Amino acid sequence: MIGRVAWLLARPGSSGAATLLLPITAFAIVTALLLTVIGGAQSFWRWTDDTAVGYQLLAVIALVLLVVPLASLGGAAARLSARRRDDRLATLRLLGATPATVSALAVIESAMLALVGSAIGIVGYFAIMPGIALVPFRGEPLGIDGVLLPAAVLLVVPLGIVLLAVVSAVLGLRQVVISPLGVRTRQDAPKLSWLRIAIGAAVIVLAFGLMSGLQLAGEASVLFLFLGAAFGGTLAVLNLIGPWVIRLVAQGQAKRATKPAKLLAARSVLESPKAAWRQVSGVAMTSFMAVFAGVGIALIDAMGGSGEMDREGLELITDIRTGILITVIGSFLMVACSVGVNQAAGILDRRELYRSLDMLGMPEPTMDAARRRAVMSPLRITAIGSAVVAAVVMLPLTGITLIVQPLALLVIAGVLAAGIGVVALGLVSTRPMLRRAAESA
Amino acid sequence: MSSFVIEASGLEKSFGPTRALAGVSLAVRTGESLAIMGASGSGKTTLLHCLAGITLPDAGTVSFLGGTGRVQVNSLGERDRSRLRREAFGFVFQQGLLIPELTAIENVALALMLNGMPRARAEEHSRGWLAALGLAGLEDRRIGQLSGGQAQRVAIARAQVTGASVVFADEPTGALDSATSAEVMGALLHSTVGQGRTLVLVTHDPEVAARCSRIVDVRDGLIVGERMPQPNGAAADPAPVAPPAPAPPAPGATAVPLPAPGGRA
Repeated sequence: MIGRVAWLLARPGSSGAATLLLPITAFAIVTALLLTVIGGAQSFWRWTDDTAVGYQLLAVIALVLLVVPLASLGGAAARLSARRRDDRLATLRLLGATPATVSALAVIESAMLALVGSAIGIVGYFAIMPGIALVPFRGEPLGIDGVLLPAAVLLVVPLGIVLLAVVSAVLGLRQVVISPLGVRTRQDAPKLSWLRIAIGAAVIVLAFGLMSGLQLAGEASVLFLFLGAAFGGTLAVLNLIGPWVIRLVAQGQAKRATKPAKLLAARSVLESPKAAWRQVSGVAMTSFMAVFAGVGIALIDAMGGSGEMDREGLELITDIRTGILITVIGSFLMVACSVGVNQAAGILDRRELYRSLDMLGMPEPTMDAARRRAVMSPLRITAIGSAVVAAVVMLPLTGITLIVQPLALLVIAGVLAAGIGVVALGLVSTRPMLRRAAESA
Repeated sequence: MSSFVIEASGLEKSFGPTRALAGVSLAVRTGESLAIMGASGSGKTTLLHCLAGITLPDAGTVSFLGGTGRVQVNSLGERDRSRLRREAFGFVFQQGLLIPELTAIENVALALMLNGMPRARAEEHSRGWLAALGLAGLEDRRIGQLSGGQAQRVAIARAQVTGASVVFADEPTGALDSATSAEVMGALLHSTVGQGRTLVLVTHDPEVAARCSRIVDVRDGLIVGERMPQPNGAAADPAPVAPPAPAPPAPGATAVPLPAPGGRA
């Protein structure tokens, strides 16, 4: 019986194909990107020589940095798929379906959407692969053989994504019981304590001290310890103070806002600074890492220019630079997809409100500007703020780089700006949905 | 020249195979409270949407008498109709449909800010309306922190703050208990017809309709009857609301020539 009802529910309803296609697309993007990232990282394990370990270490760092925005994207895709069934499941409950039946249907539907999306994602991975195979490392392209994943991985990754969808569906169901709107509107804007900023400032000062004392570290192991502590500590701090800073800025914006769109955007961020941070936190780490590593590489590069470095060393520097660019681009791409998916879900959630605002005569560009600002403002704070924190922690080195390698810093700044642009494109892509929501009768 | 603030003639509207309006003609007098009654699916909300310029009819005309003359609502473009709704009309919906992340006063002030009024003035004016509707001291509460009746009164303030000459209400008491419903209906009537403005209301509740000055019954997309309610209807209103003076038009709000709302002068 459950199977037959699930099949009936799977057919696109009056709300159109968008509610079905969106989660499928989101799952497809997650799968394609995840497979691409794993495929790229795997190619580093083919090498067995002395420098291979260094490359593998860097690949692990890149993977860790990419996992944060990827997890956020995966969560957004799963939440989106969970949302589309709420109204139909509520009707089923009214018709007398037991909670167990409703739960089973929710899980089956989310799992099916994830499965279809993942299958499309695998096709997407094969489509992207030739491009990734051309990326040069150690003086030659990675090659198809290098980035092609074994069949087992191609099977395990989609299954993992289906599992994520199932878990999210179960968690989502629990929220539906409390009523998502009730949870959203009755909450007070969360408060974050001043203690966070104090701890954050202390850790940044400590990291700055560690970096300034780098020359005191005689052995390489101590040097790596200093670098690791400064890098890890500052990243932890970014997570600690990120939501706090976003809330602080939004509070000021809400007070000063003179235009409806600015007021709406600031209030929307204040509704949940933590959610606003989660959406863009992947960029914080990437942006921080881009400056942190970029400055270091630029300096070593400048020293290498004096002719003291061997071929392998030069290659490593070029490769680290390539790796940084790929990680930054990948991170921004995932944040852009995550923002697009979150926005799509948000518009579906608030269809009735957008419709009423349209009736009241609120111009659609105002609604659009409000939701764009609500994403772009925290994103700018996050990307630029993290880059500035990294520059401060590396202050002496940043200063030197600015003098000897200004172009390197410009490239980093350019990549960050392009990344912000990609996220803006992700937002623009959901505008037709907003228009349809506002105009729907 | 007719004194009807809204005149509709021969309105027809279909959604796919469903015929929502099958040739409705209706005239609304300035200062009256008109209840449109009917069962679910009778076409009453579609009629309200056509009168307010939210939905365009497939056939027929709707005209509105503003400060500068009569305008054909259905011949205006999307942008001008949107502007007409923003500046000349007010709306109250069943659930209020206020913006949950804004405070009460911000929800009301937003209507004025959309017309170009500076925020400080918009909030000052909104404060007066909230106080007039018994919400003094609750201005900085978010919508989720208000009761259903309080939220609906915020929606009434939002509909009235721009000095709208016509307020359209779609089941404004549909989500409220009977005591709160009576209270909200009283506030709505006194802040509209009590000030010489016009109220067009859709309801399926006979008690709510009975408090209006005229009732039309809609069935299968047609007006099938018109009646005056019992005289004791409007007499049961609670203490009158004394709203502040309407907001003056915001500078720059007249870039496109549109009729000035009748109640604003």
